[in-house]
Amino acid sequence: MNKKTVSALLVTAMTASLVAGCGSSNAATDTAATSAAPAAAATSEAPAATTEAAAEATSEAAAATTETSTDGNIVISEVENNGQFEGQELSILVSAGWMDNRYDATISRFEDTYGCTVDLQTIPADQYSDILQSDLANGTCPDIFWIQSNPFAIDSVIVDPENYCIDFTGADWQNVMPEARQASCMSGDKLYGLQIWHNSPEYVMVYNKTMFDEMGLEVPTTYDEFLSVCDKISAEGITPWFVPGADGWQHQLSFFQIGGVYEENQPGLYDALNNNTATFADNEKMIEVLNEYKELSDKGYLGEDWIGTDSTNMSNEFGDRTCAMAMANSSYIKQIQEDTGTTDEFGMFLIPLGDNDTYPTNPAGPTMFGYKGTEHEDLVKAFFEFVCTPDSLQEILDNSPSYTNLDVNVDIQQNWLPEEEEFMATVDKTKMATSVLQTGTKYTNDYWMDFGADMVSFCQGTMEANDVLKNMDTNRAEDAKTAGDTAWK
Amino acid sequence: MNKKKIYPQWFVIIPLIIYAMFFLFPSLLGVFYSFTDWSSRTALNGLHFVGLDNYIEIFTSNKNYGSGIFNTFRFTIISNVVKLIPAFFIAVMLKGGLKGKGAYRTILYLPSILPFVIIGLVFKSIFNYNTGLLNTALEAIGLGFLKQKWLSDLGVVWTSIFGVDAWRGIGYVMTIFLAGLNSIPQDYYEAAEIDGANFWHKLRYVTLPMMKGSIMINLVFGVTYGLKVFDIIYVLTNGGPGHATEVITTYAFQLYSNGQYGMSTALNSILLVITAIIGIFIVKFMSRKETE
Repeated sequence: MNKKTVSALLVTAMTASLVAGCGSSNAATDTAATSAAPAAAATSEAPAATTEAAAEATSEAAAATTETSTDGNIVISEVENNGQFEGQELSILVSAGWMDNRYDATISRFEDTYGCTVDLQTIPADQYSDILQSDLANGTCPDIFWIQSNPFAIDSVIVDPENYCIDFTGADWQNVMPEARQASCMSGDKLYGLQIWHNSPEYVMVYNKTMFDEMGLEVPTTYDEFLSVCDKISAEGITPWFVPGADGWQHQLSFFQIGGVYEENQPGLYDALNNNTATFADNEKMIEVLNEYKELSDKGYLGEDWIGTDSTNMSNEFGDRTCAMAMANSSYIKQIQEDTGTTDEFGMFLIPLGDNDTYPTNPAGPTMFGYKGTEHEDLVKAFFEFVCTPDSLQEILDNSPSYTNLDVNVDIQQNWLPEEEEFMATVDKTKMATSVLQTGTKYTNDYWMDFGADMVSFCQGTMEANDVLKNMDTNRAEDAKTAGDTAWK
Repeated sequence: MNKKKIYPQWFVIIPLIIYAMFFLFPSLLGVFYSFTDWSSRTALNGLHFVGLDNYIEIFTSNKNYGSGIFNTFRFTIISNVVKLIPAFFIAVMLKGGLKGKGAYRTILYLPSILPFVIIGLVFKSIFNYNTGLLNTALEAIGLGFLKQKWLSDLGVVWTSIFGVDAWRGIGYVMTIFLAGLNSIPQDYYEAAEIDGANFWHKLRYVTLPMMKGSIMINLVFGVTYGLKVFDIIYVLTNGGPGHATEVITTYAFQLYSNGQYGMSTALNSILLVITAIIGIFIVKFMSRKETE
């Protein structure tokens, strides 16, 4: 065989492999399409939709129906399928951890029901914000996007919701969310987002109850009691409070989750902070809490190298009994037991810094929005309705091993843990009115990481407590200026 | 005869346009934006000229951007010292008749082809105080008293960064030095030996003067790398603990992430000015030496 023949053969082989590659891809798509098509046909009994028929069907998509049961629960039905979404693609941009696998079954049913496909773009958490901002600014945003929302986040993160978000005002599913959560989904009187999130105790002290019993320790309710508990645990060579400072976002929770105590100490503080008539700086209670935190750090109660330790090994530390407490969600108890197989029992108590006795109420959470520039607005609306049906909500909860409940006004089977029920029974209901500091005050959450870094500097002695607070004021003022907030003018 | 082969001068127009469009123009635009209040709200509020406000903020803010500028200089100087000097001697060693020098060269060069993200992940694990390889190894060989909080102790963290940076960069610097060494004619050394020169004499009077070109190249690369350092800091400490290892670029990155684009470009403009001044100085110095 001469060189030319060999070359010709090679080129033919390469071209064939290229075509084969394309072919297999198409085949996969075809398979998906055919598997979806019968399901769609079965649901709607509709003939294959032509463009015309689809357009007609869209206008006829009188959408979902809503019922309210006698106990006040909402029942949303999915949008009727007339083949109007056949072959369309719905793209979703989300940060890792916000949807995980818990939406997979629902998305799959959505695809089967409407004969469409869903392109889920999951972005690593640390890159998400940059990618979203760039997509919004460039007009290349997927049909649905998510943000970590709170009552002030729409205006500070999305900035211009009228320009970027589909207005869902009057949507049937609005009341699926409790009123407190609706505030995180609205800007002015317009509804833009849907927040389906759990209502478990978040970032309270999780402790090894068995270990406490063995050492004869009582659950501390004040800072002094907490210090004394830490003394005794530390004397046994065990880290009293595991703090993963290297994560950069966890340690400052101990300051922000107890917002209620600052408000109690200075009634009207939240309003004053939001109206720019009060500052973080010189707030005695805040300084007291920072100093207490530093004292714990100095005494080694947060771990020998808490600043350089991340949370990778946290559940093992509990399982190995090398730590006794940590700030975590209630669902973390289940994770410790599953990860380590420990038979120890765990419980929860309120973060006792500043003698706190208030519950960390937090109406914030990952929230999804429809992108206004989408070409599939009806499909987006159908997806929101679909997610809010009782079947989907139950499915989402059942596919969320780390959730025990969903905070919705829909009658679904919740799976509260006994530890959660026990803990909630100890909380004074009158101490649940104030939300956590980071979501109860404007522009605070945006500087979460900066505050965390400042706290570390303070603990290492290169900053003063009041300077940490002053920096927060400076940052908030900067954000307010950027937002054109009249209170800061 | 060669005249026919030389390309006409107008051939330079296309690259020049591309260079101006994608480098000069964005750089100048960046400088322009540093005098404005460009932010994530600009689409709503419009862009306003704020004069030197951003620069005044940088030098007067209690956020201590000054330490970021200082740390950038510190990194530039020290990282070059800890890379260039050892790399030079390693190159001299590997140029000689060392057995298995090919293998050593490869091993030394390998870290420089690793992405920073991988280096960050690996070294964060190695430096972990409780479970990291370094502290565990020190304890295992009875040197437990040398255990350190490599990435969280204010007194040690920069040493860790310089160490990792040197580990990554020495091979690359060494390769340039080796190329320089290989271009020195062997006759010079033989002549020097006949004159009774020892190793240090040869190094001082033959190697160093003949290596000026590669030293300068390494210096230019090293200084520009040092001034715009970001990756190695970001992956190892992200400016921490606290703000101890913040440099200009980490601050600029944070400001940009917070939507304060004007401030961010002001910081970058300061970096541009510093780099330009040092760059011009080095180029002038090099030209002078070449003329000599």
